[in-house]
Order: sequence, then structure tokens, then C-alpha cells
Amino acid sequence: MVATSTLIAVGIDGIAYGMFLALLGVGITLVFGLGEVLNLAIGMFAIFGTLMAHYLSTSVGLGSAPAFLIGIAVVGILGVAVDRTLLSLVYRSDGEERILLGIFVTLGLSILLEGTLTNFFPSRYSLSLGLPRITVIDITIPGSSILVIVVSAVVLVALFAFLRGTFLGKAARTVFQDEVGALLIGVDPRRIRAIVFVLATLVAGIAGVVYGTTATLGVTDGFQFTIFALIVSIVGGIRSIEGTAAAGILLGVVATYANFFIGAYLASIILFMTAVIILLVRPVVEA
Amino acid sequence: MTSLPLPRTERSWTGVMAIVLALAPLFVLESTTYLRLYNQFLIFTLLAIGLNIAFGHTDQLFLFMGALAGGAAYVMAVLSQDVLGISPWLMIPVGMAASGALGALVSWVSAKRKLGVILISILTLNLQLALGEAYVGLRGITGGSTGYSFVGLGLDTVGSALGVNRFAVLSYLLIVFVVLAQLVYVKLIAGKYGLAFEAIREDDLAAASIGIDVVRYKTVAGFLAAALIGLAGIMMAEFQGTVLPGDYGFAAIDVMVLIMLIIGGIRTTFGPVVGAAAVFTIEELLSPVGQWETAVFGALLIVLFLYFRRGLMPVLSNGVDRLRDRDESSPGVTDGHS
Repeated sequence: MVATSTLIAVGIDGIAYGMFLALLGVGITLVFGLGEVLNLAIGMFAIFGTLMAHYLSTSVGLGSAPAFLIGIAVVGILGVAVDRTLLSLVYRSDGEERILLGIFVTLGLSILLEGTLTNFFPSRYSLSLGLPRITVIDITIPGSSILVIVVSAVVLVALFAFLRGTFLGKAARTVFQDEVGALLIGVDPRRIRAIVFVLATLVAGIAGVVYGTTATLGVTDGFQFTIFALIVSIVGGIRSIEGTAAAGILLGVVATYANFFIGAYLASIILFMTAVIILLVRPVVEA
Repeated sequence: MTSLPLPRTERSWTGVMAIVLALAPLFVLESTTYLRLYNQFLIFTLLAIGLNIAFGHTDQLFLFMGALAGGAAYVMAVLSQDVLGISPWLMIPVGMAASGALGALVSWVSAKRKLGVILISILTLNLQLALGEAYVGLRGITGGSTGYSFVGLGLDTVGSALGVNRFAVLSYLLIVFVVLAQLVYVKLIAGKYGLAFEAIREDDLAAASIGIDVVRYKTVAGFLAAALIGLAGIMMAEFQGTVLPGDYGFAAIDVMVLIMLIIGGIRTTFGPVVGAAAVFTIEELLSPVGQWETAVFGALLIVLFLYFRRGLMPVLSNGVDRLRDRDESSPGVTDGHS
């Protein structure tokens, strides 16, 4: 019999993992909703954030906080560069052709980033902050898990507030719903897309940095993260940011519990088959 | 706009392709390295022909090619060695039927549910990951991540009887399969299936309204594609001498095949073979850059996708047309490679 306190501790780890997935999934959903580009490089952006933060804190010798912030900023700069160059070329085409071109170009970008980063970061890294374990009643929780949950929650809430409350966010939601209508009322979809793409890469960078404090990550994890993010985003509804966030947390918790009780292989199979079933039974909003 | 291939010209071009494919290994008979590379190229050509049918002609982006190929290989190897104890040759059709049935099932369900290209890709990607985990996890049957050792189709004996490398024998076996697959493809696309595929791709609602059974056509395409992919997976097991889950992963198979098909030219008869050849050539040419190979490959892919999104095949067939126009001023037949 597993103690209740252990169950709760596993659940909290699951929520931390789920929040990480939710951030990546939201990153995919935002960009797809606005520009029909499925960013298959999102996991690489996250890993890039982890690696930059690690490099800046160990090799350059910055303190953790500045290293993490500058690391995330570097991810954003890469996001700007990708948006100005590759995505500008992708946005020239329309409809299904743009969807496919977006998939292939970001897949190429993912391979390019993987191949480049492997040369500089060949092993696996973690961003240990030395946070203490926290014990509440009987439940022992790693401090880093709390950090992931708090930071992710803040980022998600800020993102929702941005979309609901600011002019830019409202303009973005207009483009989401009706691109032609947005143009007619004077919103420039290309500019909105650029801002949102960079925002999504920053969110991925934050996700990579905070998740790096709980786990040891390497370049090869990037592609894996992209796939999970894709699943989360599709299961949550490719046009719904709230749905994606919820799906991320749900799948993270399911995966972590399944892993704890029945082991990694069976847990992964259950996770993927859950996604298949959700895809098939849910009334699908076709992208 | 795509035009249907004319069966006669496409068939004669398939003949040309067969001759070129059959002559190529003769120059490298002594080199195991090149023969191995050539076998891999032929295996990937089979995979790309399968993807061309599913994705190119019926918009079903199968991202579980690795799982289908691996599944067929396990069915063939485990049934022939552990269960029935008979020649693996007899189990090749069974393995192909198993992967074909899975492909048909997925196509049937997605056609019934009217899933679009992105949702089919996500659905199949999930199946890929689930099956991939199962191949590793079912250690008792598959041998887990260390692989299931497979004695083989007996090409070593044929090879030593003829006094050549076993990989040379495998090359010619694969050439036969590739040429047969091309002939099936041309017959399929030039006939009523090709017409129906075209109609469904243009507008599936309109196609259904003139009496085309959309679900049936998509299911048939899914079956054929998956069976070919299964054949390639079985040949991969023969090539490696073992069924190794790592050989049938998403990055090892699906990503590569997708790239080959796009670079060669989707919906063209010879796009898969040209694309597979191009990608293997690029990889060979990049080997001097050593550890930067993956990065350069990724950059090259981006450029190809952005500027050659219709693939190399239209470029090549335009070149052939121009040569022909210079030879004989009569306009004559177009070869319809577009």
C-alpha cells in the first residue's frame, strides 16, 4: 500500500511536469492559431533556454537569476531572428500549402538547432539551484517542483491577462478569429504574428529553464518535448489556449502517476493511447 | 495542377529506371560500404513510394511508418522463427498483410471521422510512439531494446553460390521489389483509383456527391501504402540481421522518408526514388563536415523546402522535355511527371 503522502508528492511532481507541457503546448497553439504554422522546433527552443542558462551560470559565471533571465532573453532573440527570416518566407504562401511548409521548415529548423547545439553541449545538464525540500505534514516536495509550478502559473496567468486585457492581446484574438476582419479594422496580422511568435519562444525558453531545475536535460530531449507539446496542443484543441493548458496539466499528471505505478513503458503506451482515444471521441474542431 | 500519368510512358520510364538501378551495383560489387548504402537507399525508396500513395495522393500523412515497418518485421520474424518454425519467405506476405491491415484500419477510422491532414498526422504519431514503446517493452517476445535476432532469408547461401556479397543479392531482390511497386503505383494512379484520389483531394464532398466512396478509396490507399512500408521494414530486418526497435523510430524512418518524398517530388512517379537518392547523396557528401553534418543537413532542408517545394522531379522532367523538344520539333506526348 502506498502512503497517501507519497501519492500527493507524486501528484505534485505530475503537476510540475504538466505545467511544463502546458507552457510548450500553449506556445504551439498561439502560433498555430495566429498563423497556421505548427512550430515543430518549440522543444528545441526550450532546450536552448536550458543550455544557455547553464552556460551563462557555469562557464560565464553569472549568478543563477541573471543567467536564467539572460538565457531566456537569448531564446527570444533567436525567436526574432527566425520570425524575420524563415517565417516571413513561410507566410508568403496560403492555406494548406502554408501549413505544410510551416511543418517542414520548422522541422528543418529543429534538425539545424539539434545539430548545432550537440557540438557545443554534448552531454546532459541540470540547473541545480540547491533549493531545499519542503515538508508539509508528511509530504516531502522538492523545492524545484514548487518553483516550476509557481513560475508556470504566473506565466500562464500573465499570458491570459495579456490576451484578454491589452489592446495587443485583443488584436491578436481578432486575428485568431477572422484575419480579413482584423485587416479591415486596421490590425496588421503580420506584426501581431511576429510579436506572438517571439512571445511563444520566450514562453518555451522559460519552460526549459524552470524545468531544467528539476531534471537533467540534453539536446536529444528537444524533439521529444516538441512531440509532447504537439500532443497536448491537439488534445486540448488546437485553437483553445485554456484547453491546451488544461490538457497539459492533465497529461502530465496521468503520465507521472502511470509512471509511478506501472513503470515507464506501459505508462507511455497508456499516455499515447489516451491521446488517440481523445482525438477520436472528441467532437473535433478541424484546423 | 497535377495531371494523371500516362501509363505507357510511365511504364517505359519504369523500365529505364529498372535498368539504371540494376546497373549501378555492378560498379561497386567489391565494396560492402557502398552496397550497404545502396540497399538502404532501395529500402527507403520503398518506404517513400508507400508514403506517396498515402500522403501524396490521399492526404493521409502517415507518421507511423516506423511502427508499421517494425511491426511487419516482428510479425514476419517471430512467426517464422518462434511460432511456426517455417521459412521466413512464407511469412513476408503475412507481415505485409499485418501492417497493411493496421494502415487500412487507421485510414478507415480517420476517413469515417473525417480527420484532416494534421489530425491524421497526430493520430498516427501517437500510434507510432505507443507501438515503439511496446516493441521495446514486450521484451519476452521482441527481445527489447537489444533486438530480436533474425536468421535471415538465406541470401548468404545464394551469395556464396554465386560468389558475390550477400548485400549484392539483397540489392537485386530490392530492385525487383522497387520496380514491382512502381508498376503497381502506375497502374493504380493511371486507373480509376487515380481519378478517384484526384477528385477526393480536390474536394471530398463533391467527390462523395458524384458517387465516389471516399472511405473505401482512402482505406485501400492506406492498406497498399502500409503493406509496402511493411515490406520495406521486413527488408530492413534482413539487411540488419536483427529486428532492432531503434531502426524503426520516428526520427530514423518517418522524418527521413518525409524529407525524401518532398525533395524528390510528391505525387510524381519517380519522386520517391529521386528523393531517396538525393538524400543519401547529400548525406554522403556531407560526411567530411563531420560533427556539423546534422546542422548542415537541417539548413539544407530548410532551403530545399523553401525554394524547391515542388521537389526535384518537376525540374528533372522539364529538363527531359526540353532535350526531347530539341531532338524532334513535334510536340508529341508529354510525359506527365508534374
